[in-house]
Amino acid sequence: MSKDNRRLPVPSESKSPYLFVSKDKKPTVLVDENHLRSDGRKVGEIRPIYIRAGAVSQARGSAYIEMGQTKVLCAVYGPREVTRREDFSMKGQLKCELKFATFSRRYRCQHQSDNTEKDLSMVLRDTLEPAVCLDRFPRSHLDIFVTVLEDGGSALAAAITCASVAIARGGIEMYDLVIGMTVYDEPPTDNGTVTVGWLPCIEQISGLTQRGQMDISITKECLKQCVASCQKMYPVIQQTLIKAHPNKLE
Amino acid sequence: MSSSSVVIPGQRICKVEEEHIAGIGTYVRNGFINSSLLGIVTFTPNKEDKQEVTVAHEREHSLVPTLGSLVTARVTNLNQRFCKCSILNVDGTNLIEPYSGIVRKEDVRATDKDKVEMYSSFRPGDIILARVLTYGDLQSFLLTTGENELGVVMATSEAGGSLVPISWNEMQCSKTGNKEYRKVARVQPRNVVINDG
Amino acid sequence: MAVVQGWKNWYPGRLGYVDFVFGLDNLRNDGRGCEDYRSLDLETDVVSNSSGSSRVRLANTDILVGVKAELGEPAADKPSEGRIEFFVDCSANAAPEFEGRGGEDLALAISNTLAQSYDNVSSLDKRKLCVIPGHQCWVLYVDILLLECGGNLFDAASVAVKAALFNTKIPNLDVTKNEKGEPSLELRDDPFDCMRVDVAAAPCLVTLNKIGYHHVVDATREEESCTLARLIMGVTADGNVVTLKTEKSGSLDPESVFEMMQTGKRVGISLNNTLSAKLKQEETMAPKKGKKAFLR
Repeated sequence: MSKDNRRLPVPSESKSPYLFVSKDKKPTVLVDENHLRSDGRKVGEIRPIYIRAGAVSQARGSAYIEMGQTKVLCAVYGPREVTRREDFSMKGQLKCELKFATFSRRYRCQHQSDNTEKDLSMVLRDTLEPAVCLDRFPRSHLDIFVTVLEDGGSALAAAITCASVAIARGGIEMYDLVIGMTVYDEPPTDNGTVTVGWLPCIEQISGLTQRGQMDISITKECLKQCVASCQKMYPVIQQTLIKAHPNKLE
Repeated sequence: MSSSSVVIPGQRICKVEEEHIAGIGTYVRNGFINSSLLGIVTFTPNKEDKQEVTVAHEREHSLVPTLGSLVTARVTNLNQRFCKCSILNVDGTNLIEPYSGIVRKEDVRATDKDKVEMYSSFRPGDIILARVLTYGDLQSFLLTTGENELGVVMATSEAGGSLVPISWNEMQCSKTGNKEYRKVARVQPRNVVINDG
Repeated sequence: MAVVQGWKNWYPGRLGYVDFVFGLDNLRNDGRGCEDYRSLDLETDVVSNSSGSSRVRLANTDILVGVKAELGEPAADKPSEGRIEFFVDCSANAAPEFEGRGGEDLALAISNTLAQSYDNVSSLDKRKLCVIPGHQCWVLYVDILLLECGGNLFDAASVAVKAALFNTKIPNLDVTKNEKGEPSLELRDDPFDCMRVDVAAAPCLVTLNKIGYHHVVDATREEESCTLARLIMGVTADGNVVTLKTEKSGSLDPESVFEMMQTGKRVGISLNNTLSAKLKQEETMAPKKGKKAFLR
């Protein structure tokens, strides 16, 4: 990884003080005996969401989403001509860049994207691709920039939903929206997470990732839970988009 | 469904039936017409007594030049074999970001192709009307001006005055009266959008 | 082999070219069933300068893995654990499209998937790699070199990595304290005094390619070009799934995802078991004589 010499970097040996917090103090009870979580939600309950279609005026399409503490901003530009000869394709392409703002997480993130961000960008691209009519913009690519302003969990899921709303808002042809949802498998089994990108009208999975060890029966349960939650979110997103569009033809 | 309602991508509009056909901004899946755009759905009767279902976004639809599109472009540089230009407008829709195009020497005119000289057809900065011939090589669209209506529509002379067409291959400077060679477009009224604003 | 390319007007749910790939009896073009791997050649201890190495040849896919064990600092948030890092090099030798930065995305996808599958307690006990908690630990640099691409790179790479880790020998260290009480490390004189990495629970990746109504494992390059969506699973020997992700521009029906997961688990367990058996077998074989050569 090449270093960006134009920025004045923080000394590489600096560490966040939170690293030295004793690990024993961590709240171990994620779900109490009444099946309520630490913030008072039920197990299958999603956090209150706020979505706005259209947030960045220069962009072709943009969106902003809040899921509890998680705040994500997305802007879509293009379609732009593919300039690099190697990237040429008769099919349209998506170029996704997911970036955590340096202050978005407990530990400071670097300006240059690290492997996690690159990996999430690729997951985001693979999840959005099935939903976009790529054959409508040959030889071109769509730039999708996602900035996570604050990561309070499920940032990838929020990014997926936010990006699909932004693409739709930009008037890019899509087969369907994509709604993202993450389910955490509660310990003691092992704390794995499952993130799903769901096409609500086509009723298919456009992207699925799982981290951490799990038995497939649990993955299956998580997946079903994700899908059910996505369907709950769909009317909210539908209303947001419809409200964002002027209800008359010029 | 009312005649003007907003739909979102993926939303089912109606069944594919005798009277409904899918138009722009829609796609067909499992026998239903679904919207592929966030926009307003309209039912327009066509010639064969069918309703064409279209969805229109608030912005113009066409995104990328396609084969046969009429484009407006600015000449950026030229050599003896071809000229490069950036496409600014496709079928009347301004592009937000330009695409690059190429007019090869053999595509400048429809006749006397071997006598064409690039330097007496275009100059950098000229605004030309052209048609997309093919998707071209990897970098740019291949354009042609080999029609009477296609070619230079707006240009500036060496002295800086605007050029006025005087024949099919000459334009005259409005300042000095000097004549310059161009591949002049005989502009058809239907290709011109008069903008009063 | 009928390869359908440039399938431009794809709509979700539309199916095609099943007949090209599958004839009668659900057999593939090369006569395999949907859950059959091609024959796999495995060789360990092939690079003399590495701590552990392996070479896997899966039909036309050829992968060389070298593991280097070096001393480094543990990660700040896991002071009592060693580290394992994956690097994939898509050599332009393997495919012309890897030239320049062409293979970067693929390399990143493979290394991230592997890192994810090894990033949990059950896959590999990284606490054994710790030397002095908070200060010194072993860092295993796993370098994966693609020599030839014949499809199914993820699975082949994971098999090669597991074999190379099995082969890895980390020298034993003595931690002594000097007069001031500062710890110092000492390498033992005996070069054969080594620690091995326990790979019994290390996962193998299984890629399931959805082609038409079927899902196949170990796809050839031709089959991969027909694939609209694929599911990559990291499966351990006892059937646990440590990583899972979908790829490519197709969407999948939930039911078919469940089916693919079942298949992946089944195939993954048998792949792990076969691999472990073969690795043990090779270990007991007499050391090879003469020069080592690749691409034979």
